[in-house]
Order: sequence, then structure tokens, then C-alpha cells
Amino acid sequence: MTEDTPTFAEDTPAFAYYRGARPPRFATQTELDAAKILDYYRVPWEYEPRTFILASDIAGNILEAFTPDFYLPDLDLYLEVTQMKQSLVTTKNRKVRRLREQYPDIRIKLLYKNDFIQLAKKYDLAPPR
Amino acid sequence: MSDAPANLIGPIHLAAATIHRRVVEMGADIARDYRDGDLLLVSVLKGAIVFVADLARAIDLPLELDFMAITSYQQDSGSSDHPAIRLLKDLERPLRGRDVLVVEDIIDTGLTLHYILRTLALREPRSLEVCTLLDRPYRRLVDIDVRYVGFTVPDDFFVGYGFDYRQLHRNRPDLSLLHI
Repeated sequence: MTEDTPTFAEDTPAFAYYRGARPPRFATQTELDAAKILDYYRVPWEYEPRTFILASDIAGNILEAFTPDFYLPDLDLYLEVTQMKQSLVTTKNRKVRRLREQYPDIRIKLLYKNDFIQLAKKYDLAPPR
Repeated sequence: MSDAPANLIGPIHLAAATIHRRVVEMGADIARDYRDGDLLLVSVLKGAIVFVADLARAIDLPLELDFMAITSYQQDSGSSDHPAIRLLKDLERPLRGRDVLVVEDIIDTGLTLHYILRTLALREPRSLEVCTLLDRPYRRLVDIDVRYVGFTVPDDFFVGYGFDYRQLHRNRPDLSLLHI
């Protein structure tokens, strides 16, 4: 599986600490790896449970929104993972920044490609391409 | 030492003398903070064993030592359909009413320590605090209040002073960079 090969629900292993109603449909290998790590450490998690509206027009139409990959209810933390290098994630960084500005009570962390390279070494995962 | 290819072990990051000085300082801080307590040092095998041996001797108080071992994701992730962190060796001493100080080698994501603290908190110690030799905070997922930190280190891997490479080199007196 690669970053471009989504993991659909029917392929997804069962997770003991997943707290969502429907099986998650991971978009990338990185998301699947992150879910496995969270599950291993017995950290309850949800997958894309909430979309945050970042911009809308005067008619109320949504112009920009952001759906973080994971929510960890016990830690009250949203987690966004990406295989992109930190220098190439301008759009994602901007969305996270706007989310923090507009929802100051929301806690979110963003893990970049280099973070997953380090985690891959630590946890013996396949390194991100 | 026969072992890992020599080029994997990089320069010394923290010399033994530097570590010793800091451990003595930490021991003095802990002795001051727990002078009226009932201190039990809980260490997680195997990485923290060298640190806890030195730290315990730097704490000028009567104290107890106990050890626990837990599974690692690396070794465990393919072992079953639902691998999950668990105790391989439990503590031998009761914790209820004790002042428990968990001694770690390094804190990274905080996930392992989060599991340990949740597990120990259920045993109702009077206090539960954390002491770590190294703090690598760059991918911290769980915000944990760490009372004693030896050194904040760069985003690298290390070997020596209890840290291993494939179970080797824990006995090196210095802490060196590991190029993996």
C-alpha cells in the first residue's frame, strides 16, 4: 500500500480502541499506521469525527473547512498526520493555524513526514515514501 | 565491542561526567522534595536501569526500588490480531499510600508513559510523579507533567548509558548518537 492507495473499510483490521460508529476508511498508509500505534497503546480514538468550518460567505455557504484525521477523546486532542515534508504542507499548516485561531479551545497536533520517519524507526514501521 | 557496524555509533552527545553531574543534581532535588515522604522508585526495564542505579545512589534518603517491564510495539505488533501494550513483569511492592516516582530513560510521544501512569494510578499511590533522563518533546502526543528532566535532547536516537542498539551497548558509559 502506498500513500496513493487508500485503505477501505473492508480491508481495515479491527481495532479494539476505535470509538467510531462505522469502520474507518483510511486514506493513506500513514493514517493506518497511526491508528495501529494508538490502538497498541490503548488510546481510544475516533476517525475524522468532526469537520471544522474555517470560512463561510455571508449566505452561510462553507468556503473552507478542515477535518482532522483523528480525535483522541481521553486526551481531548485532535491529530492530523501527513506524509508530506514540513516545508510542503503550507495549506495544511494554514488550516491548522486557522483552526487554532477560530477554535482556541480545540487542541490539535500535526505530525509531518519527518515525524513518521522517526516513528517508523522507533516502531519498526515501513518508512514513508 | 563486536556489534553494530561501527559507523552506526556516532559522536558522544553526553559524556559520562556530564551525565553524572546532572544525575547528582537531580538526586539532590528529589531528596529535598521527598524528605518527608515514603519514596518508591519505579523503573521500566531495561532502558532506565543504568540511570536508576545512579539516580538512586544520588538520593540521600531511604527509598525502595521496584521494576516493571512492558511489551514494545516493535516486538509485539505482529504477534496477534489485536496487539496491545501490556505488562511483562509487574511490580513486587504495593503502591497504595506510597510516594511513587517513575524513572524513565526517555520520553518521546508519551504514549508508553501514559499507559504506565494510568496503570499505576489505579493502585492509589499517595503521589505519582515522573523523572526522566532524556526528554525528546518533538512528537509529544500526551501532555504529561514531568517533574524531573535530566536533559532535553535533539530529535535523534542514542546508544549507551542504558540505551541499546539491538540489545547491545547499554553498558557504554557515555551517551552517543546512533545513526539509524
